[in-house]
Amino acid sequence: MRQLILTLLCLLSSAALAYDMPGMKMPRELALGASAAFDAHGRLWVVDAADGHVRLRHSDDLGKTLSPPVDVNAEAEPIYDEGENRPKIAFGSRGELYVSWSQPRAKPWTGFVRFARSPDGGAHFSAPITVHHDRAEITHRFDALAVDGHGRVVVAWIDKRDMEAAQAKGQPYLGAAVYYSWSDDAGKSFVPERKLMDNSCECCRIALARTPGGEVAAFFRGVYGDNIRDHAWALLPTDGKAPHRERATFDDWRIAACPHHGPGLAIAADGVRHAVWYEAKHGPAIWYGQLDPGHPPKHLLKLGGPGASHADVAVHGKTVWLAWNQVDANGYTLMLRVSADGGLHFDAARAIAHSSAAVGSPQLLTRQGRAIVAWNTADGFRLVPAEAP
Amino acid sequence: MRRVLLATLLALALPALAHAGTPAPLSAGDVPALLKPPAHGVRILAIWALDCAYCEANMQALAKLQRAHPREVELVTVATDSIAQGAQIAARLKAMRMDGYPARAYAEASPERLDFLLDPNWGGETPRTEIIRADGSRQGISGELTAPQLQKLRP
Repeated sequence: MRQLILTLLCLLSSAALAYDMPGMKMPRELALGASAAFDAHGRLWVVDAADGHVRLRHSDDLGKTLSPPVDVNAEAEPIYDEGENRPKIAFGSRGELYVSWSQPRAKPWTGFVRFARSPDGGAHFSAPITVHHDRAEITHRFDALAVDGHGRVVVAWIDKRDMEAAQAKGQPYLGAAVYYSWSDDAGKSFVPERKLMDNSCECCRIALARTPGGEVAAFFRGVYGDNIRDHAWALLPTDGKAPHRERATFDDWRIAACPHHGPGLAIAADGVRHAVWYEAKHGPAIWYGQLDPGHPPKHLLKLGGPGASHADVAVHGKTVWLAWNQVDANGYTLMLRVSADGGLHFDAARAIAHSSAAVGSPQLLTRQGRAIVAWNTADGFRLVPAEAP
Repeated sequence: MRRVLLATLLALALPALAHAGTPAPLSAGDVPALLKPPAHGVRILAIWALDCAYCEANMQALAKLQRAHPREVELVTVATDSIAQGAQIAARLKAMRMDGYPARAYAEASPERLDFLLDPNWGGETPRTEIIRADGSRQGISGELTAPQLQKLRP
């Protein structure tokens, strides 16, 4: 009898555990997928997701206080907001505010890329639209958002329509594809999507950046040959011309896996393409390099090994900032390296912040020639100055 | 009195039995126990993620191995997604018929710290297979296991 009661007590403790789990009965804790950006007036904007709404907040005191949230989507819907997924924000030239996100559908790995626009600086938002014209219940997710020099809104994402078509015919197809579309009318509508590249990685964020000429460029993980997970570079033409992509990293990391680890890109006024990325051919490593599409990157620098992850890069004039997360048993350290000569040399790595709670990927922002790292932690959203030495 | 106690406990414990395929949270403090060498044979951690397109096939290959050597191989599934997504993780495990194995899911909102504690030489790519042998030796393999790699795992 006693033994029976003991057994039941053991079961009871695990039952209590099961009911403690968020997602079962409790409200879900907030995920850490957030994006931040400064607008032309120096105001900070932050988007993340809560209870089925992308929420927008702003700050006029460098993140010390955030405004009450505005719901971007009035009607709640599922939102990808973890890991490599996070809602995105960008600005038009006439005070427009653009937000994109990926919406999970019922089946595993499926999603729709969603977009909403505010014509009045975030006070009101249009009803969200689905960016792609293809409405199959398949992968269209890991959205990336940018505005080109002509004010066109450009969205790129990972798309599995070609993989699904190949599978239906019993043909092999490695990875997914990257598609993109743009809007000529400030986000009211999007042109039918174009394919940027077959055989992309399935689960890594896409980095977009504007070139000095005003075009939008993409840097993203591809699948080359037999599952080699190197990165591609491409400009995203918005004049109907076919996109031209080139392999831009040559690490030869061969793996049938999801790295969950996309790259970062910043393009200087002189056109130098500063990039950061992850590979693990000889153990985990994050790298800095200057892309020379078609050839291995120049000025390669290994930023970190085990425990280093999710680097970002920013550039202003000849100053280049690199930030990444370094994890150890005690938690997360936000690391920084700075170059004053356009990325030829960097100072020693420095710890600029620490968190014992979980953190999202750091995001390097620039404001009036200075860099600031947006760091979303489970203890709250933080802005950390990235001061040059 | 005893009978009342028993009935009460039974009623409270039943939900635990009903949720056999539900993942238990894995926090930093739980990692040493998970990595402790088994008394005999091998413990295999099949680490996966909701977003991972290669993980299901890898887990099923490991399950096949476990069924062929039930006494030597202990298989535990570990989802790197937050336990906040416990319901989705449980549903996916059930859909891929992997709900019969002990299941864990990360108890943190971002995976990197637990990734590092499970194996510092792993950068978070999934699937990841961690092999812990009774003799204390360890091995970690990223990516879907190849036939020769699976062959080497046979006890």
